[in-house]
Amino acid sequence: MSDKVTLFHWEPNANSGKPMLALAEKGVPFESRYIDMLNFDQHKPEYLAINPQGTIPAMLHGDRVLTESTAIMEYVDAAFDGPALMPPDPRDRWRVRWWMKFMDQWLAPSFSMIGWSVFVGPAVRHRDPKELEAAIERIPLPERRTAWRKAIYNLFCEEEIAESQRRVGVGISMLEEALSRREWLASDQYSLADVNGFNLAYALPLSQPHLSNEETTPCIIDWLRRIYERPATKATWALGRTEMVKRVKIFEREVQP
Amino acid sequence: MTAALYHGEPNGPSLTVLAALFETGAEADLIALDLTQGERHCRAVVGREVEMSIEGEGPVLVVEGEAMADSVFLAQYLDESRGGGLQPADPHARWEMEMWCRFIIERVAPAAAFLGNRAHLTPKLRAMSDEAFEALVGRIASADLAERWRAVREGRYPEAQLEDSRAKIRLAVERLEKRIEGDWILGAFTIADLETYAWLAGMVDLVPEAFADAPITRAWLGRVAARDSVRQALALSPTGVPMKSWAPGPEINRWG
Repeated sequence: MSDKVTLFHWEPNANSGKPMLALAEKGVPFESRYIDMLNFDQHKPEYLAINPQGTIPAMLHGDRVLTESTAIMEYVDAAFDGPALMPPDPRDRWRVRWWMKFMDQWLAPSFSMIGWSVFVGPAVRHRDPKELEAAIERIPLPERRTAWRKAIYNLFCEEEIAESQRRVGVGISMLEEALSRREWLASDQYSLADVNGFNLAYALPLSQPHLSNEETTPCIIDWLRRIYERPATKATWALGRTEMVKRVKIFEREVQP
Repeated sequence: MTAALYHGEPNGPSLTVLAALFETGAEADLIALDLTQGERHCRAVVGREVEMSIEGEGPVLVVEGEAMADSVFLAQYLDESRGGGLQPADPHARWEMEMWCRFIIERVAPAAAFLGNRAHLTPKLRAMSDEAFEALVGRIASADLAERWRAVREGRYPEAQLEDSRAKIRLAVERLEKRIEGDWILGAFTIADLETYAWLAGMVDLVPEAFADAPITRAWLGRVAARDSVRQALALSPTGVPMKSWAPGPEINRWG
């Protein structure tokens, strides 16, 4: 089998950014295949032939297909040489996993519910209604169909958004507390939890300025800056094609958020 | 390792971790809690990661003062501390184990907890006085976990979620029928077998149709139950019917 790595991804942001950044940190070269999420590329037959679930990202390593961003990152860390992104101590590894699950399943869905209601929905809503309905019908996973329908037709109810906003607030205070105790999120070494966390939180000072700023969350801001200064992060975010990922520029030291 | 494991009846996440402890030969003081009475919130050593664990009422492993939660990760911790061989070494096989466990954690566990609590915990909580119940939820730090306790007491089980939960159990069994390779889910015995058994064993009585035409899964359930580690864990049950003991688990996906 060939060892070639091909990554199907959208912007260096949220789930797509996780394996992009992990591969860059490990120094693994990969062929980049850009999937335009807002053009529904992820539900087109060419892509469904790679990942029938229609979720991004997906990675080909030789003839193997890997899906689910956090699981792909753990695979990348284990399968390739390069700096270890999981700490050696079992308790530190537990903490890395705990934080990644907490972010993936509790905090990120709240961020994305807000993000989808203010960004993704409005970005696609103006298109031909028939075309949009057909695009929704092509989505393989029922959960993703529900998510897209809610985003496109703005069906999020007030309670849902309020609950997401509550969770974002709780999550921010938990991140700040954890980062006040350790140099990195889950251990004293840079790990997949930081890669995961940066993808989730890099836009925080802009999206939640009242909750996350130099005064209220100095540890989070410092943490995001330190991650942004890593060569792998800069190289990865330079691959972005949209205005959205340029928000990362707030971490240039001379520019204040 | 000086460790203490606070655990509930050997069902769900407590069963995974107890069995993993016995599989790996790790040592820990065992402290039994009645999770159905919310005892984790007053009798166990906890920290932020336990309070905010999205697994719900799972066990707590305390090592050198640090309280740890989430059953699959606790099993991985025990395995990695002891070299227990409960995880594949090959990165791709490891990815498959993690993907399987995630399917159980995200899709199957919330459904099983929903059905298990409806059958077994709602009647208990209904019998509780308002004062006692308010004292119980008042000790819970996570607002969404407290809300799941309230939903169980009030019997909030919308028909659509009930049917979806049964469908998730059927899906898990369908996937097991195709996936089990030889004796175990991934060929070799792993944490995936423990976590899957822990959430599904109590569903045999509650969603019998899912298992009716599933000989491979039923034989596998029997093999897991016969393992020394699982028998040892099940023997800790004070009631003798651990599969009927449920407490609020992970939430059902908020996106629907």
